[in-house]
Amino acid sequence: MELAKKLIKVAVNGESRELWIKQNITLLDLLRDYLGLTGAKLACISNSCGACTVIVDDMAVKSCSVLAMQVDGKEVFTVEGLAKDNKLHPLQQAFIEHVAFQCGFCTPGKLMSAKALLDENPNPTEEELRRDMEGNLCRCTGYKKYIEAIMDVAQHPEKYSAKEG
Amino acid sequence: MADYRVVGKGIPRKDSIEKITGQAKYTFDIVLPEMLHAKILRSLHAHAKIVNIDTSEAEKLPGVKAVITGKDTWGMRFGFVDTPRYPCEQPVIAEDKVRFIGESVAAVAAVDENTANEALDLIEIEYEPIPAVFDPEEAMKEGAPQIHGEQIPAPGRKCAWQDWGVARVARSYNPVNNIGATVNLSYGDSEKGFAEAEYIREDTWVVPRTSHAAMEPHGAVASYNPLTGYLDVWLSHMGYELKRYWISKTLGIPISKIRVHKTFIGGAFGGKAQVFDHEIIASFLSRKTGKPVKLILTRDEVFTSTNNSIALKINVKKGVKKDGTIVGQHVKLISDMGAYRGSVPVCLFLCHSMRDAIYNIPNLTHEGVGAYTNKSTTMAKRGHGSQQMTTAIESQMDWIAEDLGLDPVEFRLKNLRQKGDVLPNRDTLNSYGLPDCIKKIVEASNWKEKRGKLGPGRGIGLAVSAMFNGSGYWPFTAGSIVRMNHDGTVTLYMGQAEFGQGPTTTTCQLVAEELGLNVEDVNLVDGDSELCPLDYSNFLSGGMFVSCKAGLVAAQDLRQQILKVAAEMLEEDVEDLETMNRRVYIKTDPEEGVAFDEILRYSIQKHAGDLLMGKGFCKPVPEIEFYPSLSKGSGRWTDAYSFTASIAEVSVDAETGRTKVDHIWIGDDCGREINTAICEGQLQSQAVMGMGDALFEEVMFSEGRTINANFVDYEIPRAFDIPEITTIDASDPDPNGPFGAKEIGECARAAVIGSIVNAVYDATKVKITSLPLHPEKIFRGLEEKAKS
Repeated sequence: MELAKKLIKVAVNGESRELWIKQNITLLDLLRDYLGLTGAKLACISNSCGACTVIVDDMAVKSCSVLAMQVDGKEVFTVEGLAKDNKLHPLQQAFIEHVAFQCGFCTPGKLMSAKALLDENPNPTEEELRRDMEGNLCRCTGYKKYIEAIMDVAQHPEKYSAKEG
Repeated sequence: MADYRVVGKGIPRKDSIEKITGQAKYTFDIVLPEMLHAKILRSLHAHAKIVNIDTSEAEKLPGVKAVITGKDTWGMRFGFVDTPRYPCEQPVIAEDKVRFIGESVAAVAAVDENTANEALDLIEIEYEPIPAVFDPEEAMKEGAPQIHGEQIPAPGRKCAWQDWGVARVARSYNPVNNIGATVNLSYGDSEKGFAEAEYIREDTWVVPRTSHAAMEPHGAVASYNPLTGYLDVWLSHMGYELKRYWISKTLGIPISKIRVHKTFIGGAFGGKAQVFDHEIIASFLSRKTGKPVKLILTRDEVFTSTNNSIALKINVKKGVKKDGTIVGQHVKLISDMGAYRGSVPVCLFLCHSMRDAIYNIPNLTHEGVGAYTNKSTTMAKRGHGSQQMTTAIESQMDWIAEDLGLDPVEFRLKNLRQKGDVLPNRDTLNSYGLPDCIKKIVEASNWKEKRGKLGPGRGIGLAVSAMFNGSGYWPFTAGSIVRMNHDGTVTLYMGQAEFGQGPTTTTCQLVAEELGLNVEDVNLVDGDSELCPLDYSNFLSGGMFVSCKAGLVAAQDLRQQILKVAAEMLEEDVEDLETMNRRVYIKTDPEEGVAFDEILRYSIQKHAGDLLMGKGFCKPVPEIEFYPSLSKGSGRWTDAYSFTASIAEVSVDAETGRTKVDHIWIGDDCGREINTAICEGQLQSQAVMGMGDALFEEVMFSEGRTINANFVDYEIPRAFDIPEITTIDASDPDPNGPFGAKEIGECARAAVIGSIVNAVYDATKVKITSLPLHPEKIFRGLEEKAKS
């Protein structure tokens, strides 16, 4: 059955948008199919792999399991918004330098989870970080280099922010 | 060790920016104008006749553009194996019967995914269930339900190996008692070996199916142009040649009119090598509708309908002298193949050959059989036979050592082959870093102070593994082109599939090193079947040794061309010149030289437009024409072996039976690490994947139905699970490898699994002979031990 479309207001990567959407679509559908932001991936559709992670009002969420209607009036932040003014975010720089990723499919989700964590807790212990990243599956890397890269940003922010300038 | 500028450095990946900004387009991200969305209806029966399919209601649903069934694809067959001995037997869509739960029975293309799904619900299928069989040993008994009749190739049909130039005719195959594959090979006389032995031990291991679980689900986008007859496809693959060959063979579209476009590929691990029904179906639907079609599988479909790793029951009998000399071995394998052969005929052979480079066993018999069962097919997964056999053989090695009072390290070292050895099949060990791998991790892990001395509930274990470096598979070559650009940089064209393992970056390093350039000076065109040269694939662990080497050879060719022109310009001999930083200089007078861009202009002007373009190619095992006989195991099949030794330290909780891996040490011989960071990443990856295999990964079935087809019930290791990992380079450069390099992506996983199994035994003294080492198995084993 076709549901009536609804109007939502949402800020995506800092840009306010008004969109008429079907009520049954997920946030991931909204990003990918309506806005063409394909950084967030669909890999499990059961809220269990983290490849679709984006940030909604400072909180990392799995966008395959959030209805688009739920982000009405909220701020959504995706991997496409991480680099600003042609400068990479410190986490992106660290991921490159540590050669943290391999196939890259889960990487956008990892970046967004890590950003949400560091925004809230800029100095996590490695144990806290590993716990926090538990929801972001990766099959290629064995996680070690991701953890090292994120810890490096937390412990040596000057290494990466300096390059931003 | 030679001093290199670019080789041996842990530089960032060439695909970094795309992958950390979300710009990287995977198959799922491809959107084409007027694109339709397809879905597949899958069998809910393990074994049933299809009496009737009614698609009329589905066809009437608004938005549905095409509905197809086995009637549309009748007679089309595909498979990973299609040899004169074993004709491929898998239909694109089930025809008169279904053979496993999850097999495709119909497909729909519609304007969107929801409509396609809705249409699937409207398809009426009348099944007549027939008895099914799920256990390979049951399947081989007289009177068991027969899953296949005689496999008779259609009149005039050539098998793939005929198409590829093997001058033998396709035969029919009649699977008596569901036997779909056998291997039987021997050398020496194992019975004589057992007669000489002073100690004989026999153990039987069971290794279950696991999921490759690449993060990107399988999928395809196909776009057929009815006016030109060209088919464009975007696939999640491990080598485009094999995919387009099969799409061409099944659909009859000329191979030169099928273009596999570059997409990013979200992991593979063996599970995306073969062609799949959904790839042929997407192409078929696109041709039928004249519109682009996207078909992406769900995670559930990936688990239930693509393929799992190969399940094996492994019986090993070994005869040993009291001093620890192995004198005989007899292996018997039974594989639960699934409804179609998958790669089992290959695996049964590889179970032998992946291990043959490790120990010197003078008398050996190796037998294997694969039985059809009513389950999904099984396929190579990162190691292809090595991890199953390594688990069985390496745990038995420890139990033999214990019984004979030998040190497990000394026992292994005593039986190793030696550098320069010629194996019974005539492969030569031109490089053999295994002894060094063992010695280095024994030292790093403090093995001697720990083995047997860690106290209750803690243990340490060792295992070793080997891996081949590419083998003869169609099109039996890998090619590469390196061309000079206007500004003295170069562009590399290479056909390898980059699915995370890093061949694009490492080949750029090889090219840069050869030409005296920086990696930034090497542009890259890869992964497109129309733009790039032939490349035999990336699923035989020949990426570095064969395909990357083709890139190096192309750079060497270009370098000679550059030097020849420069010699003319500088009026010097080629031997007196060197290249560095986009210029050629005179060795004795480095100030004197000419820049690459000047050389290019000069070459074009003075040499009839010669635009300086290097060509490289490399053939796996240049001496042999085709693949050796798998069933007899005779003949050469690879040009080099890589080696790994792994030590694991574990803690086992006696209350719960739960194992925690504390530390894994990996000593690896990959010839030479071209990119140290990528190599380290490959080893860490295998340490963690191997931990999952050892401790908890298993695809579980109930009456043919997969009961854990998602990431909640099928666990893979998570960030919190990972142990300390120490990786140690113990490379022995191979004379035929590029800068000595060999594979690094597959070898270690097997050794890691074996080492964890042996560490758990060291901690518990409970002999478990099936993977994974579930807490329940350990708990019950400890309980029984306490009783006795």
